[in-house]
Amino acid sequence: MVILEGKNVTKRFAGLLAVSDIDFYLQDGEILGLIGPNGAGKTTLVNVIAGVYRPSEGEVFFKGKQISGKKPYQIGRMGISRTFQVVKPFPGMTVKENAAVGAMYGAGGKNKSAKEAIQRAEEILEFVGLADKMNKGADQLSVASRKRLEMAKALAMNPKLVLFDEVMAGLNFGEIDQAVELIKKIRESGMSILIIEHVMRAIKNVCDRVFVLHHGEKIADGTVEDVLNDETVIKAYLGRRYKELTH
Amino acid sequence: MEKKKLQYALIGGFILLIVVLFPLVSNNFIIRFGTDILMFAIMASAWNIIGGYTGYASFGNVVFFGIGGYITAILMEKAGMHFAVAYLAAGFGAALFAVLIGLPVLRLHGHYFAIATLGVAEAMKALVQNLEITEGNSGIYLPMLDLSIKGQYYFFFYMMLGTLILTLLLTYLVLNAKLGYSLIAIREDEDAANSVGINTTLSKTIAFALSGFFTGLAGSIYAYQQAFLKPGPAFSVQTTVKMIVMAVFGGMGKLFGPLIGAFSIEIISETLSNYFLVAHTLFFGTVVILAIVFTPKGLIDMITQRKFGISYFLENIREHRI
Amino acid sequence: MLLQILVNGILMGGLYALMAIGMSLIWGVMNIINIAHGSFIMLGAFTTYWLFAILGMDPFVSLAFSIALLFALGYGVQRYLINYVIRASAFITLILAFGIEIFINNAALVSWTADIRKVQVAYGAANFSLGNYVTIPTIRVVAFLLVIVISIAFFYILNRTNLGRSIRATSQDLDAARLVGVDVAKTYAITFGLGVGAAGAAGTLWSILFPISPIMGGELTLKSFVVVIIGGLGSMLGPIIGGLALGITEAFGTNWFGSTYGNLISFTILVLVLIIRPKGILGGAD
Repeated sequence: MVILEGKNVTKRFAGLLAVSDIDFYLQDGEILGLIGPNGAGKTTLVNVIAGVYRPSEGEVFFKGKQISGKKPYQIGRMGISRTFQVVKPFPGMTVKENAAVGAMYGAGGKNKSAKEAIQRAEEILEFVGLADKMNKGADQLSVASRKRLEMAKALAMNPKLVLFDEVMAGLNFGEIDQAVELIKKIRESGMSILIIEHVMRAIKNVCDRVFVLHHGEKIADGTVEDVLNDETVIKAYLGRRYKELTH
Repeated sequence: MEKKKLQYALIGGFILLIVVLFPLVSNNFIIRFGTDILMFAIMASAWNIIGGYTGYASFGNVVFFGIGGYITAILMEKAGMHFAVAYLAAGFGAALFAVLIGLPVLRLHGHYFAIATLGVAEAMKALVQNLEITEGNSGIYLPMLDLSIKGQYYFFFYMMLGTLILTLLLTYLVLNAKLGYSLIAIREDEDAANSVGINTTLSKTIAFALSGFFTGLAGSIYAYQQAFLKPGPAFSVQTTVKMIVMAVFGGMGKLFGPLIGAFSIEIISETLSNYFLVAHTLFFGTVVILAIVFTPKGLIDMITQRKFGISYFLENIREHRI
Repeated sequence: MLLQILVNGILMGGLYALMAIGMSLIWGVMNIINIAHGSFIMLGAFTTYWLFAILGMDPFVSLAFSIALLFALGYGVQRYLINYVIRASAFITLILAFGIEIFINNAALVSWTADIRKVQVAYGAANFSLGNYVTIPTIRVVAFLLVIVISIAFFYILNRTNLGRSIRATSQDLDAARLVGVDVAKTYAITFGLGVGAAGAAGTLWSILFPISPIMGGELTLKSFVVVIIGGLGSMLGPIIGGLALGITEAFGTNWFGSTYGNLISFTILVLVLIIRPKGILGGAD
């Protein structure tokens, strides 16, 4: 079943084409990688899906319902949650409170009391491995922990689909491997994932399918194997040295 | 943890008992002074809901005070209603005004929000100055409270006290409910708040309405107490300034911060005016300047962190200077 | 008749522009809302008043003194007060400015009492006519020309000098400016000094045209707000457009509705502009 679908999605800023006439889809339970050079329009696309921007043209559907034009909080409550490339914790709150806010207002949050939400937050923090930092201030975390908190906030919203925008940037190899394990675990718990990433090591390990943006246009869409060997993709994004480095 | 809570409850109860009994052993002048402190404590605490917790620094909260006062005056004087009705109408009227004005104005951020609210208050003052029903610049009279002099002092003191307790209690309940989390989330990062599913417009508007509600109640009691209302004093920018200074001085974004601020600021300015007949506001300005430079996080931060003295002040300066 | 109102509005607008130019500079560069701005204008007015009353100095001569004095005062206030809290939230500097306002106003009240005073120059009532319909007070025209001169001077300093480059660099990125060797603390102090100096100039002109008193500042701060908001930040043209817009609407508004509606009109415009075009009428759509 297709859980997320975009048709002819276009986003212009003051005449500048950031995303140009893109079709995309995501199967239920799938991990889709979104890659491309900086400025290719990846984050813009995530912002369109999440409702931060209304697409200039085209439509986005979630579980068959049109979501383009809805507000971010409405989309969040329908079951799509996202992380921010530059993480956005609530610095004046504790780690636990950060996640609890997600549980309170995400999908099904309406039926949760503040207390139940805090309980749910504790479970999620356990799940992402932040249990020991629960009562710390969110502004006192390391980079890796902050990325995890960002994921925890998204997961606490009880989503069907999560959009991970560069959750591995700035992490070291060990931390990347942990994050990859975490993402696999998230999929196992029944969520679909769209993941933006520059870390090829992660893309190769977790993605079922990859699609590539370049100058706002889709230049490839297929299995990891096919896309990473595609001549256009290598030229536009990966560069010639990529083959030497990874093979 | 539980033991500590009990301790706090005992201390709180004890202070409350003193405040409740305080008028019985004081003269009229001191009761009146206490009433003023309570009134500013209400307004500073109400400001704290929108300014401290939600992070929207309203520079026009006096508009709710004035509206509350004028609703009371008009309902009692022109429609002959009972004070109880006028009091509630003042609160709800101010809250309704907050919703109407909040929907457009709460879309602005930072300085722009501050100035827009200031503009709303000033425009409202100018409007009231020109309306017939408010009797313009000459002011409007209210019926006098039919009690003995002592009884009047008691009445207004306990009305203010009751309203303050209501304000703090409701703020406490809001803080521990989901709404409170959403307000703080909005203050910390509004975009992130929206993306975790918070209807930020709704939460902000409720916060603004609550702030308006309690400020309106204070305005209502004040109008009845004065038995006379003029646009100038009712919508004075200085009143807004006082609320904010009290909230900041005591510690904004903390439940009891504004209360502590109101209490200490009023005591300080009263003491100053006893010693310096003419120059006391000059010293008041100095106090504000020194407080902002040395204790930008408020007195409550000093109290809870148990940090006093020069090193705490210097730490603050080092943190914020260039 | 209409032409006369328009001319009055434009001339008043010039003074409004000068009042707002300093506030706009300080706000744009340091993100400080100088609530005390009107109080500095008041100090400029009193500088001129006392130089006139005691030494008989012509206001157009004392203009230089009031600019210099207010520049020094502004420099000191920023350097030894505001710089200490500049990294705290913008809100903190706002309240600090409130404290400064209370201080200045009351210091003035204590020293000079609340009496309303006037600088009575011999040429105060001089005027000339354009055609048969419009009478123009000479002194307002001179004031208006001065506004233009001072605006151009500001523009020159900001765009053509090293100081201006430092100020603009600091306003864009404080840390980067520091890295390339700008003395940020000093640049901030000079910027505040320039803004307050312009307020001093506005005060001098105000004192020639209107009666003055120590409590006139609050009203002037509010007017300056309106002008800055209408014109929008970040352009030298902003205050001029905003000033003229306020001057003209106020002139027509009070003519049609009566003078008690003046404030209602200006503040309604303020709120509407903020809601509809928060970046000012010159700024792009939101």
